[in-house]
Amino acid sequence: MIRTPQILQKQEWLAFLFHRHNSHLASFHTFSNYRRIWIISIIILAVTSLSPLVMATFINQRLIRQAVDSELVLQTERVTSNAKRSMRFFLEERLNALRFIVNELPYYALIDNTHLAEILSNLKLGFGGFTDLSIIDADGSQVAYTGPFNLEGKNYKTQPWFIRSIESDNFISEVFTGYRDVPHIIIAVRSINALGRIFILRATLDTQRLMDTLLSYKTNVHTDIFLMNHTGVLQTPSSTYGKIFTHTHLDIPEFSTRTNVIQPENLSDNAFVTGYSYIITEAVTTPFILMVNKKKSVVMGTWLNLGQTFNWIIGISCLVMMIIITLVSTFMVNKLYLADNTKAETMMKMEQSQQLAGIGQLAAGIAHEINNPLALINETAGYLKDLYHYTDEHQNDEEVMENLDTILEAVSRCGTITSQLLGFVRQFDVQTSNVDVEKLITGILRFHKKETEYKGIHVTTEIAPETPAIETDRGKLQQVLLNLINNAFQAIEANGCLDITVSHLPPGHIFIEIKDTGCGIPEENLKRIHEPFFSTKKEKMGTGLGLSITYGLVKKLQGNIRVESSEGVGTIFTVTLPVKMKKEDKT
Amino acid sequence: MKQIDILIIDDEIKFADMLSRRLSLRGITCQACYDGQSGIRWIKENPGAAALILLDLKLPDMYGTQVLAHIKEIDPAIPVFIITGHGTREDEKECLDLGAAEFIHKPVSIEKITTLLTHVREEVK
Repeated sequence: MIRTPQILQKQEWLAFLFHRHNSHLASFHTFSNYRRIWIISIIILAVTSLSPLVMATFINQRLIRQAVDSELVLQTERVTSNAKRSMRFFLEERLNALRFIVNELPYYALIDNTHLAEILSNLKLGFGGFTDLSIIDADGSQVAYTGPFNLEGKNYKTQPWFIRSIESDNFISEVFTGYRDVPHIIIAVRSINALGRIFILRATLDTQRLMDTLLSYKTNVHTDIFLMNHTGVLQTPSSTYGKIFTHTHLDIPEFSTRTNVIQPENLSDNAFVTGYSYIITEAVTTPFILMVNKKKSVVMGTWLNLGQTFNWIIGISCLVMMIIITLVSTFMVNKLYLADNTKAETMMKMEQSQQLAGIGQLAAGIAHEINNPLALINETAGYLKDLYHYTDEHQNDEEVMENLDTILEAVSRCGTITSQLLGFVRQFDVQTSNVDVEKLITGILRFHKKETEYKGIHVTTEIAPETPAIETDRGKLQQVLLNLINNAFQAIEANGCLDITVSHLPPGHIFIEIKDTGCGIPEENLKRIHEPFFSTKKEKMGTGLGLSITYGLVKKLQGNIRVESSEGVGTIFTVTLPVKMKKEDKT
Repeated sequence: MKQIDILIIDDEIKFADMLSRRLSLRGITCQACYDGQSGIRWIKENPGAAALILLDLKLPDMYGTQVLAHIKEIDPAIPVFIITGHGTREDEKECLDLGAAEFIHKPVSIEKITTLLTHVREEVK
């Protein structure tokens, strides 16, 4: 039997994912695994479209980071450099002022406290930052003093700063508290008086002034700028390490006359970039190291925020692209699948119809060969019957007659089968000619004349006068009408009616209506009557091919067949046919 | 020249004989010819003698369509019914084009043949 191919809904979305594997169609498919094609296409599309984006993002991030790093280094270097210059200038300026004083004024003028106070006030006025002035002789005893503290007569012989300053022309001390218990810096210049004795002019500098200068370079809270001495002890307060004189425990940076920047190896955002510079004046190396700590995260903050926004945008676009890629891939693969399915179905149908044509040809061959011996059996058996019938000898031998009738009936059944098989084959071949429907119907009815009279069936034929001759396949149409009229005759009981109406529906169609008052077709059978081998005439001579062939033939004639029936009332078959058949390719 | 009802041209001798005998039993006169040539000859010799002709397609000496063409040449009015066990679509179309009255497949019931004759007779009247 012929398999009816599974018809797919063409619009079905994701059909390739959810459709059961149809083994009948599988052998006709171009591709076997659509899920794999789908996944591969998504992967390929995703990789080709997303990887440049991801790579570009990655590179961009790195470049930004590098730019930020070098910007940070530059910034730190600039701040350090500027702060160093002002520190140096601050100290140098004051040292030079002292140098000028000892060179300009005679010793006696210097040791005069009144004069010294005048000088201090001028220094405060001219430079600022000075706290006091004193003259100390080579023994360490203070000869003259002017300032806010009561330090007159003190001896500094054992003080480290004194020992250092007596050894060199110029001296700048660390920050220390000394006798006054207040953090201060000492700058001292060594000179010789008229008697040839060494003396020292010492000035105390206010650290506040120094710190203010330093703090002016502190642009924000995340920048720490401070001084420490060569052993790592804070000389000014630091926001990182604490109060003045706290030990920072920092590694003392390598001595250098230039400004340097140390970048941490650890690239975490909390790391510091440290700029440092030894403060060296022209005349003396100071004990100060200027340190500038910049927190990386701060400088990078804007960049990082920007980077994060950028990452979000990239992430969302990747997501959108993935969705689009998935949708497009799904759509394309689905289309491909459906197209392939349609192709496979067509191929299967083609193969089936070829098979059918092959079977048909075989059947036709057999039918042809059988027909001749069948005819001979028919005639021989008929002759025997005739002999009995006409010669009177065994006329009343019921057994003989019954057996002969059985033979004849069997032959007739065989004849029906072979002719239907031939009809079946002929479905594949259409030959058109002009056909007069009226003549055709009259011809067919002629065969049933006896039956009509015998059963008392009332037959009416009504042909609309303007009905044209139609261009169609004569043999097929004859077969169609023969089948339908035969069916009608079989259904009609005695004294029934058969109405055949032919009407013309301009421009292009005619209707042939065959209406009988027979037994009708039960509703559950109506849907099945066109199926091959469906028959309710089991006990009679039905093969179940008649209506199936009729339906096939009408389709071949580019027509339509419709059936209405109610059980016990009758059946109406309506055949619609084109007046002129369109040319079609022979299949 | 004798008048007959049916001329049977069929190479299946037994079939033709049986059929003619059966028809004879029904009072129908028959003449059987077993090949094309003899059939044509009979028609030539007895013009207008047969009421109708039953013609097989597969004959030993020539094909049924050729015989049909000859018959129609001799007497276009005579109704020729093709009765065959073979017969393709092409044959059927050709026969109908050549003027055959009908194309009937074997086996055929005796009643059908008698009905045909009745119709022919009626139409002649």
